[in-house]
Amino acid sequence: MPDTGYLPKEKVKDFMRELAKDAVVYAPCLEGDTVIFRPFSEERTLCFDRPANSPPKSVIYPQSEQLFAFEYKKDPEDHQKMSVELKADTNVPGMVIFAARPCDARGFTIYDRVFIDTDTPDPYYKKRRENTLIVTLSCAEPSPGCFCVGVGGGPAHKEGSDAMMTELEGGYFIEPVSEKGKAILNKSMIEDGSPYLQKAQEAQAKAHEAVKNPFETDKLKISQDLFNNDAFWEEAVSKCVSCGACTYLCPTCYCFNITDEQASGKGERIRSWDACMFFHFTLEASTHNPRPTRFQRFKNRVGHKFVYYPEKYDGAIACCGCGRCIRYCPVSVDISEIVSNLTESGQKQQQTAGSAKK
Amino acid sequence: MSTEKVKEAIAKILPDVETVICYQQGFDGLHTTPLFIKIPEEINGLIWNPLCVQNLTSYLPSIKKKVGIVVKGCDSRTIVQYLQEGLIDREKIVIIGVPCTGVVSVKKVLREIGHQPVAGVAFDDNGNIVVKTSKGDRTLAIADVCPDKCATCQYPTPIVYDYLAGDPIKSDKPKESVHEDIRQFDEKTLEEKKAYWEKELEKCIRCYACRNACPMCICQDSCIAETREPHWISQKLSLTEKFMFHMIHAVHLAGRCVECGECERVCPMDIPVAKLKKKINTEMKELFNYEPGVDPDGKPPMYTFNVDEVKIKEHKL
Amino acid sequence: MTDIKNPYLPELATVLRVIEETPNIKSFQVAFNDPEKMKGFTFQPGQVGQLSVFGVGESTFVINSPPTRMEYLQFSVMKAGEVTAAIHNLYPGDQVGIRAPLGNWFPYEEMKGRNILFIGGGIGLAPLRTLILFMLDNRSDYKDITIIYGSRTPPDLCYKDELKEWEERSDVNLILTVDNEYPGWSKRTGFVPTVLKEVAPSPDDTVAITCGPPIMIKFVLEGLAQLKFRDEDIITTLEKRMKCGIGLCGRCNIGSKYVCKDGPVFSLAQLKEMPDDV
Repeated sequence: MPDTGYLPKEKVKDFMRELAKDAVVYAPCLEGDTVIFRPFSEERTLCFDRPANSPPKSVIYPQSEQLFAFEYKKDPEDHQKMSVELKADTNVPGMVIFAARPCDARGFTIYDRVFIDTDTPDPYYKKRRENTLIVTLSCAEPSPGCFCVGVGGGPAHKEGSDAMMTELEGGYFIEPVSEKGKAILNKSMIEDGSPYLQKAQEAQAKAHEAVKNPFETDKLKISQDLFNNDAFWEEAVSKCVSCGACTYLCPTCYCFNITDEQASGKGERIRSWDACMFFHFTLEASTHNPRPTRFQRFKNRVGHKFVYYPEKYDGAIACCGCGRCIRYCPVSVDISEIVSNLTESGQKQQQTAGSAKK
Repeated sequence: MSTEKVKEAIAKILPDVETVICYQQGFDGLHTTPLFIKIPEEINGLIWNPLCVQNLTSYLPSIKKKVGIVVKGCDSRTIVQYLQEGLIDREKIVIIGVPCTGVVSVKKVLREIGHQPVAGVAFDDNGNIVVKTSKGDRTLAIADVCPDKCATCQYPTPIVYDYLAGDPIKSDKPKESVHEDIRQFDEKTLEEKKAYWEKELEKCIRCYACRNACPMCICQDSCIAETREPHWISQKLSLTEKFMFHMIHAVHLAGRCVECGECERVCPMDIPVAKLKKKINTEMKELFNYEPGVDPDGKPPMYTFNVDEVKIKEHKL
Repeated sequence: MTDIKNPYLPELATVLRVIEETPNIKSFQVAFNDPEKMKGFTFQPGQVGQLSVFGVGESTFVINSPPTRMEYLQFSVMKAGEVTAAIHNLYPGDQVGIRAPLGNWFPYEEMKGRNILFIGGGIGLAPLRTLILFMLDNRSDYKDITIIYGSRTPPDLCYKDELKEWEERSDVNLILTVDNEYPGWSKRTGFVPTVLKEVAPSPDDTVAITCGPPIMIKFVLEGLAQLKFRDEDIITTLEKRMKCGIGLCGRCNIGSKYVCKDGPVFSLAQLKEMPDDV
């Protein structure tokens, strides 16, 4: 079997139909102007020419999911007594995420450390992750706000993908990354990729060149002085309106809420995405709130991605540079600019600019 | 162009205020972002062009110090509404009004250019925006890519201001045109409307950008979308929850929505949420002949109660 | 596919006894429905549990009975929000859920052979109670035990029966205070930090453990510093809004530390390393 594959453009749908035989295939589909990952079906319009508005994170980490169902039952012996029954179901079907961008796939590796590589792994996330095949599509050019190369990724970065497709004139060059990904080369629509290898590598290199790196050095060095300076944050995010667009569209944000919903003696406990930008997120029953201001919450968001997470996981940054938080921010807050200003080189630049002003 | 006049006005008021809220270039050619000017040197960072779309007035109620602000005609309606509701102190706000012939909807431009990355943007003297992409330049008439609100704008000149940067402009749009789109939408059958909203609201990710960007959403941190007491909306992602939130948002704005369109502009999933609010405004206009945000001494109809309300049929029984 | 333990699924338990500690604090003694689970359950003093009322939600409380007394697990709950109000409505025989033990614990091994100073305010005695009882059950391991405890008024003091017992013991030095004069109260009055200054315990070979309202802790920490206690010898247990209890959901963090998992017990030396106020 060849090491790489090639999928002619006219066979893409056949290939997806083949994958859909034993899995639910989520692909970027067009609805109005919006690109959303939807279960693939014939009526849908596929859209591969730009990253989806929302990443495919909800496929593996649903925005709202049941942790367990509960039901109160009367004791047959003593009607004053109630017993409770709990039912948890972690079963999920086989799934494929098709034509996600490399940054979206990389986002899952950031979740894996949190949800799987811990002494209390999350069974819901783990099952979905294990049951999902991720086929990415490398980016031909950056979208507004993209900065993947600044956080160790790239338009053809393979971490997190099971297989990666690169668009060429008449079709897609396919590189398997994992064992799971290798298996797709067996499908009948896939041709030998080796004649296209060089062209694909050229396309990938060209795309890499085009992505901006907002950070001066390869290794992000955050200035602790600035990071802990409240005035910096007040200045940097005074325009933030404290909504959850950045976190909900982020392939690496994972904070969640757990709530109970019930009606007449039965109900469920659900886990749903939450956003550290919301006032309610840390609000305590006593009405005390450890992060009452927008700037404290924003500091926590940037801190989580660029300081706290790296501290916990060997320097890994919890940001994949997809640019969505910049593109879709109601007021165009630019996290790459803020982080750049937070670095030691950024700090120097600001000081020089400041002294020039005076 | 008004840019120099805006800068002059800011320079004039800056000694008297803590900060002036205006616009600067954002992360790419198509996007602007708020600029908070505190010292004269920062005035150079200001830009003024049809991409200055954001309604900056939503920052006003939370700022306690004396501020200056740059507003377009539509934005000024928010200030009027704030004054009606006592949410701001007029003495603490210096308003620089800028007459406006229409802004640009970034979403519409992106649709026109096929969502290409934008290398740069320019404006010509004929009311066009020229968008540069790697595939070449695209010239678009601003009138073709303006937000819907501009197409029927009745207030191109701010209603309240302390300084006016430019000459007042009169609206050339017929008054009847304002509610035209809603009346057309009303002609759909109930089933069609239901199907339309189900399809649109299904996309909602409950990020609350629409709520937080809304200048008139004053419940903010006590919004029923997140509270457990009252527990009206769960954290489930069902259509029912999404509907409930958007309906409550719209109803809370009855007779208060100034139609700035921020809710729709900021929606990352492109849901036409402003239409819900406009529908209610259309009803308010018909029932009470009331238009929000135009008369500082007016009162939102839902803040008053009149048993003899002539336009409400039940009252005539 | 691997079958792993589901950390979100509570163990079912029954309320055995409800004790009204103060006008707004109740203690709940609960036991797992499965006797085997109860027999095999172990925890360390200071660890917390998530107590569920199904349909309303979960809240985090320290297990304030000591691991040396395992007939039941005790949680003390101050009525503040939706979940605590629902817990206050529980009666013996009612069903609850428990996820425990969670978090870290008091470093009681390192405290062996030293003097122990407890400083508590209001409901803040709950986390100290587990360690106090544990130490009393292993009394010979520790030198002098001093407890400074205060509340707003005498009815607001928790665990009144135990306070009486401790007062009568010769191997415990209990100092009680209430904020202001109160009819029938003949003991000290004044805020806990003020009483701490008056008592002025020696820092020599002493570990101080404190818990109470944030404002009390703030001034107690200052007071201990003035008494020359070392940061390493000052231990506190924190409270934050928690949901998952296993370091995932992201709301109880202070910098990179999660109070639910890396805490709730921290030394002052550790807290000083953190990037934000607690």
